[in-house]
Amino acid sequence: MPRSIAIALLTLLLLAADVSAAEGPTRDEYVGRLEAICKPDALATQRAMKGARADIRAERLPAAAGKFAKAASIFGSTVREISAAPRPPADTVRLRKWFVYLNRQADYLRQITGELRRDHAIKAQRLTARFIHNGNLANNVVLAFGFDYCSFKFSRYG
Amino acid sequence: MARRSLALVVLALLLFGGLARAEQTQRGNLIVTLDGRFSPLALPRDRPAPVAVRLDAGLRTADGSTLPRVTRVELGIPGQGVITTRGLPTCRPRVLRDATAAKALEACRPALIGRGEMVAEVKIPHQEPFTAHARLRAFNGRVRGQRAVIVHGVAKRPPTAIVLPFLFRLRPGRFGTVLVAHLPRTLGPWPRFADFEMRLSRRYTYRGRRLSYLAATCPIPKRFSAGFFSFAKATFTLAGGRRVSTGIARSCRAR
Repeated sequence: MPRSIAIALLTLLLLAADVSAAEGPTRDEYVGRLEAICKPDALATQRAMKGARADIRAERLPAAAGKFAKAASIFGSTVREISAAPRPPADTVRLRKWFVYLNRQADYLRQITGELRRDHAIKAQRLTARFIHNGNLANNVVLAFGFDYCSFKFSRYG
Repeated sequence: MARRSLALVVLALLLFGGLARAEQTQRGNLIVTLDGRFSPLALPRDRPAPVAVRLDAGLRTADGSTLPRVTRVELGIPGQGVITTRGLPTCRPRVLRDATAAKALEACRPALIGRGEMVAEVKIPHQEPFTAHARLRAFNGRVRGQRAVIVHGVAKRPPTAIVLPFLFRLRPGRFGTVLVAHLPRTLGPWPRFADFEMRLSRRYTYRGRRLSYLAATCPIPKRFSAGFFSFAKATFTLAGGRRVSTGIARSCRAR
């Protein structure tokens, strides 16, 4: 009798594990899905930020602010879209941490835009340093995922 | 006042120290890392000043398995950097072939532009794998009429000397100058490149003028005190044609 209970319990556990595995995508599926969302947005960011570096060098801060605003808007919508995608159950903790960094990135972009609009060059500069540092930290969290378009690349920002 | 300046120093260390960490990218099982810095950090806004550059690039596998064979290494250098070789003696790769470190220096010391180290994993069939460390020296050179950095490496175990010419290629884009090296087939299939670290710096006098092999500017407006730029990009081509790369951003301060 106890043996049959044990078998029944084991069967239940296996079934439960199977159901939970079916609940979310695999890591590869997740990466493929997110990359498809990130790719057009990353390319759009690159186009939006074209010339921002030259604008800053020439002290055209309002023009640079406009480009940062566009990049912030694209980045914000990308984060909203990818955060809605179902996550692999085994990676939920790691991805939660990644999304904290991504939201912080979106926030930094908005803050940089604001400081450039207010003509606060030094504040924008400090926020840019934080933005780059935070982007690298975000990349490290999901290094094993092998993201390309969903990873932070400084070169995309002008 | 002292407390405020201390806070500013701590903030600067947090910001710029944080930027100076190795960046890494993973493709499949392979992780490529790149780190780099230059000194001095404070540079003129409008004219190049002498700098020393340190680059550290590496490959590792996520699960510790054997590294793939690298066939080509490319190092991208940004437009802010200026490389001057006018009047700098050159060294021919032929002179360095099979030379010990002492012989290489004896033959090419006037062309010396840097030093470094390289680590390779060596896995010979039916033997325990081991790590080979090589001391590197970089010399200014020319290969088939092209400017080049000739890297000479000497390992004690197993006793080996390699000569690796990095040719200068000019390309459009962010990294206008790219140093390209093809790893020779003569190295054999066993050594697998794992990591290298190179420090490049050379001041010299030519026709009464002090020149520097490497120079850079920090081209930012007066209202900014620091700027950010793509500092370097390392691309490894693996046997089979797959390419993995990573880039790093660094900051400079204007003086």
